[in-house]
Amino acid sequence: MSIFNDLKEAVTRNIGRVMNAGAQYSDARWYEDDSSEMLMLLDGNLEGNDTTVESGLGVRVLYGGAWGFAAISQTADIDTCFDRAMANAISASKLVKVKLDMGKKPGHTGSYTSPFKIDPIDVSLSDKVDFLKSVDDSLTEDWILRRMIRVQMQRMIIHFWSSEGTYTQKKLINTFAHMTAMALDKDKQMQRRSKTLYCETEGTRGWEMLTNPALWSGHADRVKTELKEVLTAPELEYGKRSVILLPGQGHLQVHETIGHPLELDRILGYELSYAGGSFVNLDSFGKLKYGSDKLTASAYGSITNSPGSFGFDAEGTPERDYLLIDKGILVNCLTSRAMISEANQRAGREVFTESGGASRSTAFYRAPIDRMTNVNILPGDDGTLEDIISTTEDGIIVDNPTSWSIGSNREHFHFGCEIAWEVKNGRITRVLRNPSYQGHTVEFYNNLTAVGDESTWVVEQVENCGKGEPNQVMELGHGLPVVKFDNVISGERK
Amino acid sequence: MNEKTKSMITEARDMAQNRGIMASINYHRENSHLMRIGNNSVSLNTSEELTRIDIEVIQGRKKGTHTHLGEIDSVDELFNTILKVSEKAGKSAEMDFEPVLTVIEANVETEAQYDEALDNLNPSVKEQVYSAIFKNVGEDYNYSGSWSSGSTETFSVTTANKNSAWHRLTDQQFMCVLKHPEKMWELASWQTGTKAGDVTAEVTINEFKSILPTYENREGFGVEPGNYKVVLGSQAIGELIGMTVWIGCAGRMWEMKMGWTADKNIGDNILHPSVTVLDDPTSDQIFSEPLSDSGMLTRTQTMIDKGRFAGLLYDRNTASKYGKKATPNAGCLVMRPGDGPSDFLEAVRDIDRVLYIPAIHYMNMPNMSKGIFTGSSRFSAVLVEKGKIVSPIFSSRITDQFENIFGNVLAISSETVSVNTSNTYGRRAPSAVSVPTWMLIDDVKITDCADSF
Repeated sequence: MSIFNDLKEAVTRNIGRVMNAGAQYSDARWYEDDSSEMLMLLDGNLEGNDTTVESGLGVRVLYGGAWGFAAISQTADIDTCFDRAMANAISASKLVKVKLDMGKKPGHTGSYTSPFKIDPIDVSLSDKVDFLKSVDDSLTEDWILRRMIRVQMQRMIIHFWSSEGTYTQKKLINTFAHMTAMALDKDKQMQRRSKTLYCETEGTRGWEMLTNPALWSGHADRVKTELKEVLTAPELEYGKRSVILLPGQGHLQVHETIGHPLELDRILGYELSYAGGSFVNLDSFGKLKYGSDKLTASAYGSITNSPGSFGFDAEGTPERDYLLIDKGILVNCLTSRAMISEANQRAGREVFTESGGASRSTAFYRAPIDRMTNVNILPGDDGTLEDIISTTEDGIIVDNPTSWSIGSNREHFHFGCEIAWEVKNGRITRVLRNPSYQGHTVEFYNNLTAVGDESTWVVEQVENCGKGEPNQVMELGHGLPVVKFDNVISGERK
Repeated sequence: MNEKTKSMITEARDMAQNRGIMASINYHRENSHLMRIGNNSVSLNTSEELTRIDIEVIQGRKKGTHTHLGEIDSVDELFNTILKVSEKAGKSAEMDFEPVLTVIEANVETEAQYDEALDNLNPSVKEQVYSAIFKNVGEDYNYSGSWSSGSTETFSVTTANKNSAWHRLTDQQFMCVLKHPEKMWELASWQTGTKAGDVTAEVTINEFKSILPTYENREGFGVEPGNYKVVLGSQAIGELIGMTVWIGCAGRMWEMKMGWTADKNIGDNILHPSVTVLDDPTSDQIFSEPLSDSGMLTRTQTMIDKGRFAGLLYDRNTASKYGKKATPNAGCLVMRPGDGPSDFLEAVRDIDRVLYIPAIHYMNMPNMSKGIFTGSSRFSAVLVEKGKIVSPIFSSRITDQFENIFGNVLAISSETVSVNTSNTYGRRAPSAVSVPTWMLIDDVKITDCADSF
């Protein structure tokens, strides 16, 4: 028998065993292959040449309204893994206030493969290094003090079985890349300018992404030019003004102040002791004016080419395209099955009708939690970036984060950025250094006054979203246009 | 770790030596358990038993590394993996410096911080501790938290010699957050330890009970942006001193001119004379680390001595790249205590207004060159007037510089505490810092305040 058949037999037998012992629900994820490769050129030196291969089984058991989870890297011991998960669930069930319930779903089967042409893990190391060296060469100048080229590639083959009879199989491919150039400015402060590989919505996720100059490698000259301008630029003065976010910055704004506060487990208080809570509560849905009428945000967004697109979540739920915020009104959030069941119980009404397919796990040895898929701002009707600049009296355009710090309930935030362009009376006047801005989330989004059209819309990749205990790093995407906010505090108070 | 695995690794090391391969092999096994609490319930109860093998191979100016998480059952399989990494290193690109293979200075076998009872702690113990807290402090509050415990076992060999290092320890990190369901303020209690019994319900019950009356009867206070006298608690000090030293005293950061000490030299006075910071593996408030990354037996080093820039920490490859000597880094950060009273309220009884901020949430650095950091107050933060707690403060943002925070020190507690700084990303890797229980600072910049906690 093949490894797969042996494992399938052991998993399905054990799922039956724990269900017969009184479990409400059980599932198992076998990572047949979780391969990743990281290459990092620092000042031309290949200092990072790392590969990781992981394989193992993660098991969840829901018993008495409580979760137990166990994971093993030695798959010869599957019975023990189920025993531990069951014992953990029984132990947890002794201290449960609201009993968790997965609801009833018919079993289904399905498979998903990320769109890709060339599996990045399979490309020879010498080809990879040659290509990255060529990108590094294009970033090299005498006046540039530090150069960093970093590439992360992933391939995951994941099998999922549940006690409802669901079986899904996924092959996920991801390619991430960053280039950064750094130099000392006139005050001997290190400044940087960078470019992160982004996605074509209808494109593919393999090595071919990396070698498409439009998406990443062809931006080296612009990175250098803009860095040089920053070095001699004046500092941004403290004050209130309009702030125009390019997608390189806007995606993190969306990530931190729409994505995270709309994860249902945060809303319900399950992240309080670590990442924090949310200013959103169950009464907010359908009522809270999260932003101006120009703000419409979606989950997943039917973006086929994104690290936040994965076919089926870690509970086997198919990914689902739906609105989170509709013309400024909060209407939904990022959900998994047990969380919507609890939310509806607590609210005493049906706040959520079905899972948003947002149950995700970073590895076989981590239990799934509510995570972002793709969280997007939909394009608006305020034209191009130039159109938005032309209607701005006093503002700045900012790009790429250097720092992000957000209040524990996501109610306020502070971002530092790599570069700002000053806008006065409808035109760009000069580059500014050390830009930062801060605000209070709901007030900020209600000051959203311009949303760019399709021509400004791109899908930015995030490879390192952290959440949960045990901690989990997750990859996802954000599609968004250029956006403008008025009356924003920017610059640092002296 | 069984003898078979040990033999397998040393045999594979010998086979690599015989083939002239420069390799290090590190075995990492963790037995982890974590109970998570949310809404007065156990929201997650996890067990993870994971084994990793890390292999690094160096060929002249090239290197490659590989981590395998999963089953390796035979010497041949392990040796074949070493050969693959060797091939990978061969296809790598030459660097402008020689990467350095770890040389284990002496045979090491340590398990002084291992406790079998903690390694095998029954999850029901955790459930009972949390239950006792809920019952004793009051079940009308909303509780959340997490309690991670487990063991980490490592075994390291390299082809540089025949030495080996085996290290096993247990650790635990406990946290409980109490949130008022209507008023929404949050209190937190942290505990840490290496042995079963180091974490008790009584400690957290007493902490909560001692400060609850103050919170129960006071409204939240909105802090206007401006400069304030601030008392930082141990969690905040731990995080801040960690970032200050990482950005300012890591050899790589200094050589690359990245951090706030880039224009400073060893011997310069850079912080307040009351600030002394060491890397001290002998402290009983940290998790032990017998070997540095270069294989040296760890020894105490001073980075900041009475405010003076006293030393930089070099890992093996940074040392090679910049022509310096690697230092015996333990990653055991210790900030020396001062001579202040144990209770910070006593230290501020003659001061009109002080903000007490025990923990800083989501700290980040907008400008590393200037040492500017930002983060917001959280957990039990209060306004204090003339040594009396007046009211809890709303979520307030500090945006300031390391040089101001550790330069404008007015008083430091004479007591220290262990702050557990472990995270659970990736593998289990216990870490802690030893810091004073509080530090009073002048002229701290509060730059924003929410209207909620």
